[in-house]
Amino acid sequence: MSRVVVSGLGVVSPYGSGTKTFWAGLAAGACAIRPITLIDTEGFRSRVAAEVPGDAMAGLGVSPRRARADRLGLAAAREAIADAGLGPADRAEAALVIGAVGGGMLEGETWYWEETRTGRPSPRITALRSILPYTHAETIGWRLGIGGPKETVVMACASGAASIALAADLVREGVVPLALAGGVDALTRICFMGFNALKLLDPDPCRPFDRDRKGMSIGEAAAFVVLEDFERCRARGAREVAKLLGAGVSTDAHHVTSPHPEGEGMARAMTLALDAARLDPGAVDYVNAHGTGTLHNDRTEARAIARVLGAGRVPISSTKSLVGHTMAAAGSLEAVASILALHHGLIPPTANLAEVDPEIPFDCVPNIARPAPIEIALTNSFGFGGQNVSLIFGR
Amino acid sequence: MSVPRRVVVTGMGTVSAAGLGGRDMVRALHARRDSALRPVRGFDTSALPCHLAGEVDDEALDALFDRDAARRLSRICRLTVAACRLAVEDAGVDAGPSLGLVVGTEYGDFRSSGEFATGFLKRGPSGLSPMLFPGTVMNAMGAAASIAIGVKGPTVTVNQVTVSSEIALARGAALIVHGRAEAVLAGGVDELCGPVYQRLAHELGVLSPMRRPDGQREGVEGCRPYAPDHNGPALGEGATFLVLEDHELARARGATILAELRAARWGNIPVAPYAAPVARRDPRSVLRASLAEARVPGTALGSCWGSGTGDPALDDWELALLHADLGERPDLFPPRSAVALVGQHGGIGALRAAAATLDLAAGPALVHGLARGGCRAALVLASPAGR
Repeated sequence: MSRVVVSGLGVVSPYGSGTKTFWAGLAAGACAIRPITLIDTEGFRSRVAAEVPGDAMAGLGVSPRRARADRLGLAAAREAIADAGLGPADRAEAALVIGAVGGGMLEGETWYWEETRTGRPSPRITALRSILPYTHAETIGWRLGIGGPKETVVMACASGAASIALAADLVREGVVPLALAGGVDALTRICFMGFNALKLLDPDPCRPFDRDRKGMSIGEAAAFVVLEDFERCRARGAREVAKLLGAGVSTDAHHVTSPHPEGEGMARAMTLALDAARLDPGAVDYVNAHGTGTLHNDRTEARAIARVLGAGRVPISSTKSLVGHTMAAAGSLEAVASILALHHGLIPPTANLAEVDPEIPFDCVPNIARPAPIEIALTNSFGFGGQNVSLIFGR
Repeated sequence: MSVPRRVVVTGMGTVSAAGLGGRDMVRALHARRDSALRPVRGFDTSALPCHLAGEVDDEALDALFDRDAARRLSRICRLTVAACRLAVEDAGVDAGPSLGLVVGTEYGDFRSSGEFATGFLKRGPSGLSPMLFPGTVMNAMGAAASIAIGVKGPTVTVNQVTVSSEIALARGAALIVHGRAEAVLAGGVDELCGPVYQRLAHELGVLSPMRRPDGQREGVEGCRPYAPDHNGPALGEGATFLVLEDHELARARGATILAELRAARWGNIPVAPYAAPVARRDPRSVLRASLAEARVPGTALGSCWGSGTGDPALDDWELALLHADLGERPDLFPPRSAVALVGQHGGIGALRAAAATLDLAAGPALVHGLARGGCRAALVLASPAGR
């Protein structure tokens, strides 16, 4: 078994393109949740989301003829590959594990809306070739010449984190020497309408952990990491950005949309990650929480963190308050946020937090980033279907 | 230094156009020579040139569920839960935190996505069904099965065309070898998505009779993998799951060990999406790597199963890769493909693996898969006594 390190990062986020832009936004505590421009929101309770800005999309260097999600994914993957300094020979032996949910659904919806409303066949039918989640891996694998195992995992809002956990297994067990892993999701009408129908969206930018929180805000992004065998990374003189110390994956087997009320599965994922990292709970310095801003998730997650790490012992924050819930990308985006927090010794804040819910017994780092000597960070991702993934990174 | 875990097959469950059941059903299917593909009954295809499909008998499927469960679960979730239950019963494996689940699928619950969107287009925001929304996420089948069975280990959904359940089986084996689970239900599922998808598939030219480059369709509709007159796949539906277990633990609990999964790998030949370039070879062949890991020389293989969908370019590419890796083997080629029996769907690779598991008398079996876009998988199954 080998040690796994992170040797490259790539991000396209609601702040724009690039890891530096992403960190600048997080460190400034800037909320990127704004009125939606991509889709019609007339008649819906919530009309805000965290979109990738139009000028950033135009500057990605990816053909606008591709599906929006493919454009996000390809740009973020390219940055991660360049950051790690991987050449064609490295890429030929790398695995590619992508967490995805929406695929090219945004363009598929445009076709379906047009056909249904006009009653005539639409020439946009070719957009359907990119509608399924696996098409991101097809595009990225081809364009970047990835020759190792190629896999698309759909684990709802835990997809991005799961892609990292599963790719790390392949590296740790020696199946491949390195892997490109991460999540991709663009805004879609179905996602926006669905969470509205479930009444899970806050009409205003979300307020995770706040006493008066009213739900989440959706977003879009792509975030990738290059995972590499430690010895290989060192031998080629590459930069070790962080260590991936452990990952835990569990299932609630309780309810399709609601977490187990005691956070049993969540706690198990965190415990499994700690066991894999061979760390005591007291070693964790910061938790990047799933922290969606819904009433039940935030309380249940707090209960689970308290059970595993101890109530009030560790600062937690939700970067979803800054960049929205980016669905399949959320887990890998928050992994990158956690790695950057370790690197800069700065905890990104929870935005829009006025008064912490008394049932959440933690310092939630309200509104302003806080310097802290972080050695170990844990990041949680949970999703529909009772999917739980926890990742632990070290400096 | 720890000894790598060995992975064995201890149970199986299948639901397809040919029927449903455990290993007896798979045996019967394997012996079957006539195709279960028929003109579609579930919706009108009269305006299309593609009429054939392998449909699951709804009466037989619904007989496995009480009325409340049948109402609560979408049809594709019922297919998944039924096959998983049959496999768990066949293996006699326990649920809980040490049991994982890997679901391979090509299209997921496409029908729920369509119904959800149609509700909005007909009646605006008030037409949106909160009940349908979770089905629009492709892990809905895994969620339903994990709840029904009590799977508390990792539940992973793998999305890929043509080889989704081969990858699911390989990932399931990896979860055991990498210590994330002691046993894993692994396989795949899809359903016929209805008239909208059938029309799309026709217009995109991906079903028999497929379009030639000049736009014309050629030949008689039918699914004929690897045959000289193959002209496209026919869709099927169903679910097949295998129970994979750690060998020592399976033996300790007295389970019947049906086969050992000696190697399971998947990879990528980096070609353009949807491409099937027959001339393109694979210097990093997962087939060769799997045989080496399994310590099975190609000459010792007793059977070969392929993903053969009837898509001419893909069939020809797969045969070229198999020839390149294994040489001329008239005893193995053309590979066996169950697609002509029950139609192409996300569970077909697992069905092939199930059939191979029960047919190891002539020697180890290779289950090979190849998709347009270059995703490739290879599983090597052998008699548990053969090592």
